[in-house]
Amino acid sequence: MILRRIATILFLPMMFAFGSGVYLYLGTMKSKVVKERAQLPTVTKPKFLLPGTMFVVQSGRLFKLKDGSFSEIGPAGDWSMPTLTPDHTQLIAVLRAAQYSDLYLLDLNGQIIRRLTHDDSRILDANHWAFYPRVSSDGASVFYSYDSPKSGYQVDFAIWSMPLKGSQTQARRHTTPDPYPYIQRTGGDVSPVAISATKFLFVRHSIDPSTDVHTEIWLQERPSVLGYPATDGKPLTDAAQSCSQPALSPDGTQLAMICTDGKQTGRLEVAPFNGSVLGPARVLLTGGLYAQPTWSPDGKALAYYAPTGAAGHFELWYLPLPAVATPSATASASASPGGAVASAVAPTPTPAAPTPVQVTQGVDLSATSPPAWY
Amino acid sequence: MAGQALARRRRASRLHPVRLVALTLFCLLLSGFAGAAAYFFPVVVAGVGQTGQVVVVPPSNSPGVKATPTPVAAPGAPFTVLLLGSDDDGKNQSPLTQSMILVRVDPSSKHVTMESIPRDLWVPLSTGGSGKIDGAYAIGGPAAAIATVERNFHVHVDEYAWVGLVGLIKLIDLLGGVDVNVTNPVLDDFYPNDINVKFLYGYTRVAVLPGPQHLDGTNALRYVRSRHDDVNGDFGRSARQQQVLLAIKAKASTLNAADLPDIVSALKGNFKTSMGLDRVRSLLSLANGFDLANVQQIVLYVPLYTSYGNGPAYGGQSVLVPHWQQILAVTRANFP
Repeated sequence: MILRRIATILFLPMMFAFGSGVYLYLGTMKSKVVKERAQLPTVTKPKFLLPGTMFVVQSGRLFKLKDGSFSEIGPAGDWSMPTLTPDHTQLIAVLRAAQYSDLYLLDLNGQIIRRLTHDDSRILDANHWAFYPRVSSDGASVFYSYDSPKSGYQVDFAIWSMPLKGSQTQARRHTTPDPYPYIQRTGGDVSPVAISATKFLFVRHSIDPSTDVHTEIWLQERPSVLGYPATDGKPLTDAAQSCSQPALSPDGTQLAMICTDGKQTGRLEVAPFNGSVLGPARVLLTGGLYAQPTWSPDGKALAYYAPTGAAGHFELWYLPLPAVATPSATASASASPGGAVASAVAPTPTPAAPTPVQVTQGVDLSATSPPAWY
Repeated sequence: MAGQALARRRRASRLHPVRLVALTLFCLLLSGFAGAAAYFFPVVVAGVGQTGQVVVVPPSNSPGVKATPTPVAAPGAPFTVLLLGSDDDGKNQSPLTQSMILVRVDPSSKHVTMESIPRDLWVPLSTGGSGKIDGAYAIGGPAAAIATVERNFHVHVDEYAWVGLVGLIKLIDLLGGVDVNVTNPVLDDFYPNDINVKFLYGYTRVAVLPGPQHLDGTNALRYVRSRHDDVNGDFGRSARQQQVLLAIKAKASTLNAADLPDIVSALKGNFKTSMGLDRVRSLLSLANGFDLANVQQIVLYVPLYTSYGNGPAYGGQSVLVPHWQQILAVTRANFP
């Protein structure tokens, strides 16, 4: 009788403990996509030591990656798209609010020096977006995408520039989004890459008469006249290739870009650039969601974002470039019929495929913010 | 005698080691079952409340269309699901279906076909009269939506699944977001500001930037719902909806049974389907085997499949007029 009582007393907590154990064990069996959440970069250790200093973004927070460790910089807010001034002493970044975004000049520790734009309004559709800041090589102008002019439902980005030391009232528009007559609403022009104060690359989203949307890298060589955009821009890539996210090498002779052929996944390509036309592209990587190629300070490697693992977090990758002789852009231009689309030549595969190296793990960096690297 | 009987009773009352082991195992089994039952209890509740919804669709006069419901298709046989998505934000007592996608799944060939039906398509409704096709669900629920699609598109719908906006946000957040390559900027100055707010009729601004990115639930919803600044209007939105659906599929293919309680919790009150739990589970496992290359996407664009119409003939509304010859040809070819 006593034994039975002891057994009962022992069995009840044992059953409770085992039942709870099964419950908790099932909880641990959840798939990685449900369990895994991005970590703060500052609590992680990069798997690869990147040369130089890089600024990246995670969920609206700015981080500096230097000497193999991350540190958070700047005040709280929804920050994105940090870019360096040519002398590498200051940053320009985007601070986004619910209805608008502004460009800010920051020091390298993220302290605000000056607010460059004032895009907020109490009237909803009088607010504006400013994204993709890039400083011209002479440091005098900052190019950016700005949603003006706009009307009613039609909101498209155009490429604007303003003096870095001036005010937004001095800003000038350089492009008219979408050349197709009467209809726009493709999202417009983004990602300017300033070559000089009057010359820049950008990405145009355009439509054809059958309303298919195309993505092309364009070159605009003339400044705006009396505040109106020059009209002699030309596409450097073929519409069918859907190339975007241009990144010019430090010496200005090569252009890295992502081309998707209108599909979800794409190719990371590098093409020679002589300041006017693109040569045949080398395919470095293919079949992935590659984003924001960025040149290393010495121009011998690229960094980019790509998702990894079941969680699909975008991580930073490093890609040393193989030393191969590339055809000159000029040679390719003469082979291009009509000269309108210089890189219509099919991309040539690289003889020795470079091997990418994963830099971060489990941090999910913002793939729409190009890293700034010096 | 009395002493012997007492000794026998004492021996009997003592726990034999074999009985003790058996009893222990039984208790562990019982408690383990109870632990598992507690873990999956929300799934069972949802299974009763949200899956296996009985829908009786009025018989169709369209050629080749079988009555719904039909006996469950044989394992491995192709079947068609009507996916419905609604603004269940409280503006309408009966929500419209702002997203209608016919999905044909062929488990044997691992091929999926998706055909988006424009919400503004002007069609004869199964409930009587003509109207925009998104009103069928509001008037007669899933049965009317299915019957309207079956009669007009001459297809047989085996199952339906309905999801609300909040459910979509929660599901994508549960999956830790989805990876999408945004082809062009999606800008909208008149995006409805109706989630988690008291005043449901306000607007907000939206800017989804181009390029590959990891979208959380809120931003994914903005991406699939915005339409004002898309040159292709609702069609562009339909293509984006299919894109996000495939991104969800890519993530969902790694889910397992232990995730079901979280999924159920995320979709609580925002999901209904005629499919039983077993079919939902088999669909999840099927998702593992499907390659995105085997997914065919159809959007009924202007001018081939539809044209714009407005005026008194359409109740003063802006609608899409179907070109049935072309629509039925493409539907028949892909939904045999």
